[in-house]
Amino acid sequence: MVLSSRAFDVVDDDDAQRLYRDRGWTDGLPVIPPTAARIEAMLAWSGHTPDTVIGVEPVKQRPLTAEKVAVNAVLAGCLPPDFPVVVAAVEALCRPEVLVHGATASTGGCAILIVVNGEVRRQLGMSSAHSVLSSPDRASICIGRAVRLVLRNLLEVRPGELDRSTLGHPGKISWVVAEDEEGLDGWAPLATERGIPAGVSAVTVFAASGPRQIMNEWTTDPEEVATTIVAEIRATMLHYSIWAGNYAVVVPPQLRSVFHAAGWSKARLRSFVYDHAIVRRADWEAVGKAAVVSDRNRDTEYRALPSPDHLLVIGAGGEAGGFAAVIPPWLGPKSAATTVPIGVCVDC
Amino acid sequence: MAMTVYDPGFEADERVVALPERPRTLVGATVGIISNGKANTRPFFDHLERLLREEWGVAEVVRRTKSNYSAPAEAALIDEAATWAALFAGVGD
Repeated sequence: MVLSSRAFDVVDDDDAQRLYRDRGWTDGLPVIPPTAARIEAMLAWSGHTPDTVIGVEPVKQRPLTAEKVAVNAVLAGCLPPDFPVVVAAVEALCRPEVLVHGATASTGGCAILIVVNGEVRRQLGMSSAHSVLSSPDRASICIGRAVRLVLRNLLEVRPGELDRSTLGHPGKISWVVAEDEEGLDGWAPLATERGIPAGVSAVTVFAASGPRQIMNEWTTDPEEVATTIVAEIRATMLHYSIWAGNYAVVVPPQLRSVFHAAGWSKARLRSFVYDHAIVRRADWEAVGKAAVVSDRNRDTEYRALPSPDHLLVIGAGGEAGGFAAVIPPWLGPKSAATTVPIGVCVDC
Repeated sequence: MAMTVYDPGFEADERVVALPERPRTLVGATVGIISNGKANTRPFFDHLERLLREEWGVAEVVRRTKSNYSAPAEAALIDEAATWAALFAGVGD
């Protein structure tokens, strides 16, 4: 296998760490030196030749090759079986509807959430349980970090360079969630709902603001739980952005059991949120934004979701606790959640 | 242990773009201003337009706004900009 990346001879591991640190090629954490054997092992696992173009970032018109993605995956600590997930995530990020340039350059504080579905979760030992929003296992944190290093090293998404975010987002370090498909109790996995055939693993990427936790462990009425979720969405519409787009809701087992007991499907939860997550422009007056309320627009209604399908319902989280999380979009409809199968093409 | 490691950055040649010659003067010229659409660009570009007309003798200032402040300007706008002598494309927040 012939690699085309520029090569550097280093005398030992410390020398390699110094090379990547001095050139700004790490996020600050130590890296695994990307030797030819390690890069080739990644490519062998995914079946890509080094020059395969995984995607072309649309704004820079920059092709991201399998070799370059593999170099960054090695740096991040990925093992070869992780690599197809990284490849699928990079492919998804290059889709025009994600607008990864805008999402990663924005002053708004968003990060790339990667939701993993399918058998690959079990093969990689990914956890869908405790601390699920913090990339809680080896594969999750390494896959998310690999995507971060791809953005950093191939697209210059470094704080203060292309990354102009005012506050940033802790999920920029790594933000990967594996859905708890074994505990969905009849709910369809996210990727299946988004058109991926059963039996095919997939990633869904979503340029998202920070997760906002809700708590309601004092009811067995699913409508009351959904109302708490809606209240959080309405709050973020008032406090952050009023524009409609994708939202995600992460529902752990305890609150999922409330929905399951009452026979609520994911679709019913989505419809409820679509019908109720609405604010009026005049509501901005109560949160200090009266400057953008006028007699002309005060009665205008804004929905959180352009359609019920814009809500991503994800089952994940530790077994105990009446919590859920609302994950708002980076900014309304500017970036669309995008789902890509891992290792296969289902529409070609 | 000595080893050979590889560059993780983008290395392919960037497309070569020929820059137009800078105008020697703005007197009598048509100058464009492309706003990203954010509200605070308006007073900034109002002031810039006044300076261009009053202090630099610009004949016409064309004000345009991108449809999406997070994305590049649409193709039609870039085509129109090619007819201007100079262009300001500023970021405002």
